[in-house]
Amino acid sequence: MSTKQDDELAQERLVDLAAEFYDQFAAGEVPHMDIPTRTKSNIVFDEDSNVWVYGDRTSTRTANSVRGARKLLKASYTIEFLVNQLEEDRSSTLRELYYLSESWDNEEAQFKSQDESNQLVEDLEIVSEVTREDFHMRPEESGATLMGPLELREQTRRGEREIHCQKDVGEGGYQIPNNPDTIDFLDHDIDFVLCVETGGMRDRLVENGFDDEYNCLVVHLKGQPARATRRITKRLHDELDLPVVVFTDGDPWSYRIYGSVAYGSIKSAHLSEYLATPEARFVGIQPEDIVEYDLPTDPLADSDINALESELEDPRFQSDYWTEQIELQLDLEKKAEQQALAARGLDFVTETYLPERLSSMGVL
Amino acid sequence: MTSFQSTLGEEEGGGIAEELAEGQRAISIAEFFEKNKHMLGFDSGARGLVTAVKEAVDNALDATEEAGIKPDISIEIRESGDYYTLIVEDNGPGITREQIPKVFGKLLYGSRFHAREQSRGQQGIGISAAVLYSQLTSGKPAKITSRTQRSETAQYFELIIDTDTNEPEIQVDEERAPGESDLSPTHGTRIEMEMEANMRARQQLHDYVKHTAVVNPHARLVLNEPGLDEPRHYERVEGADLPAETEEIRPHPHGVELGTLIKMLGATESYSVSGFLQEEFTRVGAKTAEKVLNNFRDRHFGREMGWAAPRDPETSLEDAIDDAVANKGAEATATFAARVADTLTSRERTTHAELTDIVDTVADDVGEEFGATFGSTVRENAVEAAWDVLTSDLEADLYPLVDDATSTRKDDATVSGLADRLADKFDSGGDPRHRATYAGLRDYVDRSADRLVSEDVSFGDTARENVVDAVWTAMRTVPDEVPKVRAIADDRDVASELLEAMRETDILAPPTNCLSPITAELVEAGLKKEFDADFYAAATRDAEVHGGDPFIVEAGIAYGGELQDGTVDLLRFANRVPLVYQRGACATTDVVKTIGWRNYGLDQPGGSGMPNGPAVIMIHVASTNVPFTSESKDAIANIPEIEDEIELAIREAARDLKSYLNKRRSMQKRRKKQDVLGRILPEMADKLSEVTGRPRPNIDGALARIMNNVSVEREVDGDTVTLVVENHSDRTEEPEITDILSAEPSDLPEDASVVDLDGEWFVSWEPSVPAGESVELTYTVSGDASFDVDVDGVENEKLTINA
Repeated sequence: MSTKQDDELAQERLVDLAAEFYDQFAAGEVPHMDIPTRTKSNIVFDEDSNVWVYGDRTSTRTANSVRGARKLLKASYTIEFLVNQLEEDRSSTLRELYYLSESWDNEEAQFKSQDESNQLVEDLEIVSEVTREDFHMRPEESGATLMGPLELREQTRRGEREIHCQKDVGEGGYQIPNNPDTIDFLDHDIDFVLCVETGGMRDRLVENGFDDEYNCLVVHLKGQPARATRRITKRLHDELDLPVVVFTDGDPWSYRIYGSVAYGSIKSAHLSEYLATPEARFVGIQPEDIVEYDLPTDPLADSDINALESELEDPRFQSDYWTEQIELQLDLEKKAEQQALAARGLDFVTETYLPERLSSMGVL
Repeated sequence: MTSFQSTLGEEEGGGIAEELAEGQRAISIAEFFEKNKHMLGFDSGARGLVTAVKEAVDNALDATEEAGIKPDISIEIRESGDYYTLIVEDNGPGITREQIPKVFGKLLYGSRFHAREQSRGQQGIGISAAVLYSQLTSGKPAKITSRTQRSETAQYFELIIDTDTNEPEIQVDEERAPGESDLSPTHGTRIEMEMEANMRARQQLHDYVKHTAVVNPHARLVLNEPGLDEPRHYERVEGADLPAETEEIRPHPHGVELGTLIKMLGATESYSVSGFLQEEFTRVGAKTAEKVLNNFRDRHFGREMGWAAPRDPETSLEDAIDDAVANKGAEATATFAARVADTLTSRERTTHAELTDIVDTVADDVGEEFGATFGSTVRENAVEAAWDVLTSDLEADLYPLVDDATSTRKDDATVSGLADRLADKFDSGGDPRHRATYAGLRDYVDRSADRLVSEDVSFGDTARENVVDAVWTAMRTVPDEVPKVRAIADDRDVASELLEAMRETDILAPPTNCLSPITAELVEAGLKKEFDADFYAAATRDAEVHGGDPFIVEAGIAYGGELQDGTVDLLRFANRVPLVYQRGACATTDVVKTIGWRNYGLDQPGGSGMPNGPAVIMIHVASTNVPFTSESKDAIANIPEIEDEIELAIREAARDLKSYLNKRRSMQKRRKKQDVLGRILPEMADKLSEVTGRPRPNIDGALARIMNNVSVEREVDGDTVTLVVENHSDRTEEPEITDILSAEPSDLPEDASVVDLDGEWFVSWEPSVPAGESVELTYTVSGDASFDVDVDGVENEKLTINA
């Protein structure tokens, strides 16, 4: 749980933001709020932290237009709600905020979709420099899990729990809490962290005892990883000094999953320093694996091609390795899933593919 | 055989013809229209009544205007048993006793038919047709009262039209003292007709009167009919003058037809064609007449082809002429021959007529110099000799013409083949002077080309036309005297040549003082008078011509206000007369439908057809001869020149509508934005004051800034009052501010003035505030004074007053 101090800081920052709008009004100015432009053309590589953060371009939310004025009205209502929530030491989910707005006395202030409320909370995070966890806002449980030789202590609302992520958990593994900063790592026997995109592959690795055999912590990303998943991955790397590798499907969307683990996502680039693990490395499926292991494939759809071409222009993928791989895939016009490895037998992934890839990467 | 046939003809065929002849007789025009009422708009009882009103009112308007009197016209319809009685009364000049029966009781009697001048009526059919219709349906005579301006008494007639003779049949003819007569004005005409009718066309009747009021803002109309509770008055627009007087113009050469031309030729007092053209037509002076005559000569006589003097020294022009001249002395002859030869050689080509002229000139000169006389025989011989030499090698002259006129793909053999054959045609054409009309030349070329084609050489239509044109251009108009007027009048073919020559000549458009447009200003005033709308626009085009008749198109648009939404109402007018029926057949309707109204801010389902919206579009076509689709004059015919002008006039007015609608839309948007922001921002301010625990902030400044507004704010500090004008818009604003005080102010700056009105002081101040800046007005007034500020010169939507 966050500390009392953090709560006070968050509350103070929110009130400051409201006061800023207030002062703008009082000075006869049009109330406005400047936030960094959240598109891929406005992210820059930060040399100090090795992650991608927002550049200098900003967008202004201003009451000059009806749209902008509605946004700022909603922001004012949301600030009030968050301040009260912190005051009462409660918490709520993003989805609850969306529904809760229905109860506000002002129809103009109510959210039209959850995207809108999510975006507003992100805006407030950026402007106030407080993370939403410190606003006591959490997402729905993402259900991402850990499995491996790690012992940790979690502070729950019902007291502290010490958990071993192999011995004390079932087949499903240890579920990552919404705020992983409530966890202390106690002890571990891990050689490396393996982040896996799909549930099917995670289950295969666990069934084949890959975590046991190679002293590996298997992190299930569950698609595009939630903040908590990325945060705990970063802490595992930083605090326990463990190498991190990412294992996904061989298609453009999966490369973005790797990208958000390693470099930070475009939407939350303001938190990259806190969430991204720049040292994380990509295991596969690489386009060259499709050729090398002769994997069964699907043809690229038009949207896949567009996504690949867009990645060629994405600053996060401007390395020789990625340029080569993406261009190769555009040539091949094919993509492959992790499960495609099963074509060579159920044990192929644990006995051949991963050991070969990981040794060539110097992890094993 | 012949004799047998004639016998047969006498015995049987003749019998039938005679039998038929017994049944054949002349029908009077009145009788004809009795059977063809629909052609004049009297096809039903409902429509007949409207048409009768229309004819009577048109007549009344024409009569009053012509006399320079502002029309006062009353229209009354009464139920009388199974019939309706129509009474139309005007304050016109009245009609003399002799004329009344003819005007009302004889079809095709009028002053207008022969005049080229804009007027409502033209054929003199309308009112007498109404009389005829009333007598046919009710059997009652028309009752006419008229009193001329200087007369002490009024004339009263009851008359019917004798349909057999098309002559009025007078039943009552009395003189009535003003007291006894029904006529209310001191002069004018009143007509009363009883007819079988019904009021099913009430809407059309009302439209007709209302529309008449729109295009005749100078007229006052009163309508009373059984369906109205009280008479409906259509008032005169204040200050609307009578339409500009029109002048009658002579016909334009481009506007006459052959029959008319022959009739004019027969009637003119001119002797020469040139005089005839200048006397009888407008826009024809000596120069234009000469152009017409030359075109006429080309048609009547044909042109002469000219030829070059041979370059070949062996065929000596000089020798040939020398040989042809006898007994004039060696020196004189030689000089004569040398000079003629020199002149000819220096010319590109010379026609027979030109040659004759040259020989004459040189013969006169040389004769004078040498004291010899060159008689006509000598001159003829010289001409003949020289012509022989000039025409010795026609092909050489034609070759370059043909070569230039045809495409480069034609080979040498083809070109010289055609030139050769064409030369033959000139030689054997029957005229030694090598004359040919355009048609004749075309025939030469066709025949020559056909020969080539028969030899499998291609020579198409375009090539032929080009050759004809090239040769025709090289040919010269002959100087022959044109036939005299009398001769042309007697010969239909020659007259037709003259007509073609007239049509072909470029002639200035006819003058437009024969037209009297309503003018854009009065169109707008007329619309304003009869339609309660938010916006009016009007446009008057410059005069244009179709078929020799000048015309002017005007358009007007009214929008918004009390106008009904739905399909736009189209008002059509020709020479100030509303067109009520056959809207679908009218050129104006067609044009309105083809315009893309969405461009102008009106809704138009499917992007074509009649637009939708609370709008009225009016179109007025004024012309000396409005082309109607039928005698009942309900729809304007689709003449491209007129349609073009209609379109341009509508578009001109529609452009104003567009900018009005755009502005209105942007104002609506601004108002909407103001409404929404005016709700949201105070709520936001409340929320902020809750969160921060501070009092509610003043948001007026922010609001004014957001709305690009002009804000006027008052600051009072003891006795010192300051008005602050802040301009947040993107252009300079010049508000007119009036501050009304309950006490006398002092220390006013120079640019403000104060007026005392019954204990209230009006401070006026008209500052100019550049975009983004603010200005202040400071004065002193006792502390307990009350204020009331009023701001003009800035649109309300843009104004925020906090004072």
